[in-house]
Amino acid sequence: MKIEARGLEHFYGHEKVLNGVDIEILPGSFTAIIGESGSGKTTVLSILSTLLQPSLGSVRYDGKLLNELGNIDHFRQHNIGFVFQFHYLISYLTLRENIALAALDATLIDPLMGSLGIERLGKRYSDEVSGGERQRAAIARALINHPSVVFADEPTGNLDSKNALGVYELFREFSRAGTGFVVASHDKKIADYADVIIEMEDGIVKQIHK
Amino acid sequence: MITPIKALRKNRFKTALIFISMSVSIAAIFLISAISGGVVSMYSAMLKTDGDIIVTQKGIADTFFSDINRSLSVSIEKMEGVKEASALILGAAPVDPLPIVGIYGASENRYKSYLLKQGTYPKSGEVMLGSKIYETLKKPTKIVLSKKTFVVSGVFKSRIGFEDGGVVMNLTDAGELFHKSASIFLISLDDLGKSEGIVKQINSLSSDIEAKTTESFIDSYNQFKIIKTSSDVIGAMAFLMGILGIVSMMSMVVNDRKGEFGIMRSIGLSSTTIIVKLLSETLIIAILAYAVALGASLGILEMIEHADKFQGYINGEITAALMIKVFIVSVTMALFGTLLPAVYASRIDPMSLIQRGGA
Repeated sequence: MKIEARGLEHFYGHEKVLNGVDIEILPGSFTAIIGESGSGKTTVLSILSTLLQPSLGSVRYDGKLLNELGNIDHFRQHNIGFVFQFHYLISYLTLRENIALAALDATLIDPLMGSLGIERLGKRYSDEVSGGERQRAAIARALINHPSVVFADEPTGNLDSKNALGVYELFREFSRAGTGFVVASHDKKIADYADVIIEMEDGIVKQIHK
Repeated sequence: MITPIKALRKNRFKTALIFISMSVSIAAIFLISAISGGVVSMYSAMLKTDGDIIVTQKGIADTFFSDINRSLSVSIEKMEGVKEASALILGAAPVDPLPIVGIYGASENRYKSYLLKQGTYPKSGEVMLGSKIYETLKKPTKIVLSKKTFVVSGVFKSRIGFEDGGVVMNLTDAGELFHKSASIFLISLDDLGKSEGIVKQINSLSSDIEAKTTESFIDSYNQFKIIKTSSDVIGAMAFLMGILGIVSMMSMVVNDRKGEFGIMRSIGLSSTTIIVKLLSETLIIAILAYAVALGASLGILEMIEHADKFQGYINGEITAALMIKVFIVSVTMALFGTLLPAVYASRIDPMSLIQRGGA
């Protein structure tokens, strides 16, 4: 899915956090949005992922505006995956049940868990596994419906460097298989894995590296 | 089904509070309905014993205030289709140490409806005690009513709590005690199909009396209406308290689980799915609370029925119809109480998840 954002501006109250952002995300690409805290990268990610409506500007998904996409819940479930900094796995469900909660086709759960190396942890709860394993389960939940694009906000923020690199490698691997990734991060190591790096500063796109 | 149960187990403390709140509300509805229903049912059963038609003083609000000429029963008994007419005086008086006891003055032809356990039916200056009051008063040989002493001639057993906890005497003694001729006539018929015609004949005997079929009397009896209305009002209050309890607790639950619902929204679960999930959780609590409230209510009613303090006058009955009615009320309570917090949960903005940790 191609995503095009034009002239994005956004305010939180009276504070302007985006000041005219133009971004294009190509299908299947691994895009990193990097910048310091407060640069606006999370706001851009939230707008691109349909979670937030911009104060000004437009976002098109394969040429369609958000209001032309029909039921937004349905659109999210079929086209978009999310990975958050805090894994947000539901604590009273096992890892497998967490993934199943999002799954449109339950037969895909076990193969996906296998490909992420967490097939043995299906019956464990999130507080019974390591941080890296929790994040892999969260990634599995994001990928289970074969979304066109996965949005990740600081997905390695709570991981050590070894596990962080493991997550980037996974993103790289699935990106090669056709799933797009848009990752907001302040970790510069992501540059080694991303196809496109969008550098943000003070609410504008400072530079785009390809 | 596993997911809601796991969610309830995870939030044990709040689940327990909702469960207790619902159980108490449901038990309150059960008890008030059962007790009021029991009172109506017991009094109705007493009137229905040998009574297809009831005759009272015209325009009277309560049978206790009714005063009719007992000699009319002789004329009624001669009417074609009438099997028997018995007269009854209904009164109440203190019997030391009990503050109030039901006193029934009965014509002799009604004695057969009291199952004699010991002794004989009462003659002048004698009374017959229900088995419950006989035990409560520790098997007395005499009792004092309005400063007059009566010898206990016998003890009877009745399934009707008012009678089993009451005193029966002959009509003349009761008439002297309560200064009236008779409160009501209970008339049994050979053929119920002729009841309307006989009612008309009886009403034509005197402008001071009013005859009704027992069914129609029970349907229109003001005291029953007052009892039922009071019970409905108290039941409705318990229902509303139950709903308020659920709303407040479920609001706290939703607030605690904001992240969970935010995740569900972000992965595309519809608002309806989230609402149904929360409703199914409270529905499980409601069903468990219903079962516990039913068991507790049955136990409490059993205790009340056998408590000397209540003399067997409070004899609640939980019928199948009441069980179904309260089950529907319980489910409605759960659904109504959860709906508002569930709608709130279904609208939680997934952005809150990002804002907690994002730049």
